[in-house]
Amino acid sequence: MTTAKTPATTTSLVWQRRRASVARFWKQYRTHRAGLYGLTALALIALLALTAPLTVGADVQSVTEAPGTALESPSAEFPLGTDQFGRSLLGLLIWGARISLLVGLLAAALSVAIGTVVGIIAGHYGGWFSTVVMRITDWFLVMPTLVLAIVLATVMSRSMWTVVLAIGVTSWPTTARLVRAQTIAVESRPYIERATALGGGHGHVMSRHVLPNVMPLVLAQTTLGISTAILTEATLAFLGLGDPTVVSWGGMLQDAREAGAVSSGHWWYLAPPGIAIALVALAFTLCGRAVEAVLNPKLGVGR
Amino acid sequence: MVMVTKVPSRPAAPRRLLRLLLATGVAATALSAVPQAAQASPAAPAAPVAQATADAKSGGATLTVAVSQSIDSLSPFLAQKLTSTSIHRLAYEYLTNYDAKDARTIPGLATAWSPSADKLTWTYTIREDSKWSDGKPATAEDAAWTFNKMMTDPNAATANGSFTANFKKVTATDPRTLVIELKKPQATMTALDVPIVPKHVWEKVGDFSKFNNDQQFPIVGNGPFVITDFKVDQYIKLKPNKTFWRGAPQFDELVFKYYKDGDAAVAALQKGEVSFVPNLTPAQAAALKSQKNIKVNDAPGRRFFAIATNPGARSQDGKTFGNGHKALLDPAVRKALFLAVDRTTIVDKVFQGHAVEGEGYIPPRFGSYFWKPENAQKRAYDPAGAEKVLDAAGYRKNGEGKRVGKDGKALDFRILCHATDPNDKAIGKYLQEWWGKLGIGLKVECLDSVSDPWVKGDYDLAFDGWSVNPDPDYVLSIHTCGTLPATPKDSGATDNFICDKEFDTLYAQQAVEYDAAKRADLVKRMQSRLYDTGYMNIMAYPNALEAYRTDQIKSITTMPEAAGNLWGQDGYWSWWSAVPTASAASSGDSDDSSPTGLILGVGAAAIILVGVGVWAARRRRTSADDRE
Repeated sequence: MTTAKTPATTTSLVWQRRRASVARFWKQYRTHRAGLYGLTALALIALLALTAPLTVGADVQSVTEAPGTALESPSAEFPLGTDQFGRSLLGLLIWGARISLLVGLLAAALSVAIGTVVGIIAGHYGGWFSTVVMRITDWFLVMPTLVLAIVLATVMSRSMWTVVLAIGVTSWPTTARLVRAQTIAVESRPYIERATALGGGHGHVMSRHVLPNVMPLVLAQTTLGISTAILTEATLAFLGLGDPTVVSWGGMLQDAREAGAVSSGHWWYLAPPGIAIALVALAFTLCGRAVEAVLNPKLGVGR
Repeated sequence: MVMVTKVPSRPAAPRRLLRLLLATGVAATALSAVPQAAQASPAAPAAPVAQATADAKSGGATLTVAVSQSIDSLSPFLAQKLTSTSIHRLAYEYLTNYDAKDARTIPGLATAWSPSADKLTWTYTIREDSKWSDGKPATAEDAAWTFNKMMTDPNAATANGSFTANFKKVTATDPRTLVIELKKPQATMTALDVPIVPKHVWEKVGDFSKFNNDQQFPIVGNGPFVITDFKVDQYIKLKPNKTFWRGAPQFDELVFKYYKDGDAAVAALQKGEVSFVPNLTPAQAAALKSQKNIKVNDAPGRRFFAIATNPGARSQDGKTFGNGHKALLDPAVRKALFLAVDRTTIVDKVFQGHAVEGEGYIPPRFGSYFWKPENAQKRAYDPAGAEKVLDAAGYRKNGEGKRVGKDGKALDFRILCHATDPNDKAIGKYLQEWWGKLGIGLKVECLDSVSDPWVKGDYDLAFDGWSVNPDPDYVLSIHTCGTLPATPKDSGATDNFICDKEFDTLYAQQAVEYDAAKRADLVKRMQSRLYDTGYMNIMAYPNALEAYRTDQIKSITTMPEAAGNLWGQDGYWSWWSAVPTASAASSGDSDDSSPTGLILGVGAAAIILVGVGVWAARRRRTSADDRE
């Protein structure tokens, strides 16, 4: 901010401005204590997930080389006990974070990407085209997300990507509606008219002017969407619609249920993955709320 | 049908629509579970617990049995699943029955039977004291009509057609005498597991392929129980037949209640809401063993659990179809795959000892037919041997350590698994690792309904299992060429598209062999042949793991009487013989089980955690807004 004494090129100016806005953003974000808690929790969980290959290793998933016996209760060797194959539940919990987080992130990204594209196009072109697109959006909006996701996950082969797709394809309408509204608001500003007068085409207006202006909204929406996506992933896995060969938190709950852990009172099998899901979802929600509040303070007034 | 019934749902193509409906039902159930699961997943399993406490109703002595498998049809001409055929055992008499003690043939609707000298004409004497529940007497006329219907209407032969295919003529010479003439000798004449239906009710039925016998209640029958009510995937209710010739059952009502979730059923058992739960997991059995008023029955089962390999699906008109992996047509590949399966680990780890290691096709419980391979023939666990077999057959490892065939195609197989069966998934994990070490890839495809790809032949390997009856004819018949579908579009009674000349010859020989010892020998040779082909690899014979409340059921007959099972018997013995305790007539009240409370607590804690978090976040925001 203060170093811009040298003759600045356009790019360096742009970078400078970006750095400044990030700094401003962070300064405001810091004032939201809940957001900071969320961020810390996320950083910790992300660190655990990323270092999992070093700490627990991929072998933790192996059933043939499982170290313990079936369904052991917590002990010094296995702090959270073992599952029905004799694998360490703590190891699985850490390893499962990878899939749960990855699926959550990818699905939210996919959902928000679809929503943004649909929203911008519908808002930009307007007219009958917008009406048609928005009716399709409405159709998806009234459709119960989980039912649609279950149908998709059932019809397609069981894999992680199916789950990502099922969540992404079903949860975009809210984003689309928000982005369309913002697009219309942005496009009513005079500078868009000027850009058009100077020869800016549809593509230019949409990508250079509208997109950067809806980005904050999209960012907040993504952060909030991740927690929903993680919960949906866990739900699908719990309902047995995930990939049975990868370890995820929802899948662990499903395994626990199938092993009969509920009726035999093996709480150490059930509680940790459930609490982990709740914590991650909570952390993302806290972050999302904080981001939303910083970027768009007006958004919260009515609530 | 009855002879054999596969426990997980299996090929029965005509009822695809029904399956679809059921699938929708499952989806709906899942949906109802969602609000809980979405808030905090540990709470989800708590839902059934709450449900279990809901109605602890009282009344006369009711025997409630938890079931999970859907009814395919209540029509005895269509029903093939274990739940349906078990209920038909209760509602209809068969000509003969199996003794609870040792499964030998004993009188049912027929009191006596005798073959002619050439064994082609069988005369059955029908008992005089059996009455339909609407008061009319059950006669030879009813039996003759039932068999004739199956012989003339292919739609009526769907479930049990294998029994009547060889019948020439069935007549009732008088109300007490039934005469069956055969085209050629048939070994199953004293094991005709066909429910006899009342002619005066069933002759009004038009299309047998569509009539499911579930519109008018009570359903007219002459078994120990009468079906009085049925709601798809909710319950089947039966009342005792007071005029049953062997004596009326002791309980005042028998209810089969649906619990799609095993843990929910166990929770209901702990609460005393159900009296009996079959198909327990080892963990559930262990937990229930230590509880008072509950008895766990762990008995040798009558099922086998196998890996079936697709031998190249084909139909009777010679067309091949499906997309089974070509490498599986090579016996060396099949051999190597099974050499790398450690059955002891599967029994120890997956079944946790509640199973017997697999050998031949027929479980050891049927002693006279049980066969196991000689040492030289046996494919014992030998991963190094598997490597050698594959190397010798020309499947070399490539740079990435994957085995590749001569055609350059990698050995990547799919295995069809029942999404509802935890054992399938668990064993799938082991197979992936064992075969992965050999350089063979495996994709576990778990489906709610495996019938569609199965009937189309779109699978490489599949988890397979059948319950075997005391007479093994049916389980053997499903591997003969004659049961292949007529065209690729049809579905046949075949299990796994196996068509082997040698096996068929032996099958034809045993079917006409009346000498028990000689027939047993032929059946063993068939199993030996089946073992050598490597199309059906038996991994284990799972035990029947079930539990009942001793404060509701005073006594109950297992089959066989010593170390036998209760659910899915070859007769109606368990429910017919069950005696209620004195207190069962009053309410089924419960001992407060701590695990349930604990889980509720954990679930509630998680919900509160999320709730507090969200509330705190909102509160912060509102207060911040207010300050502005």
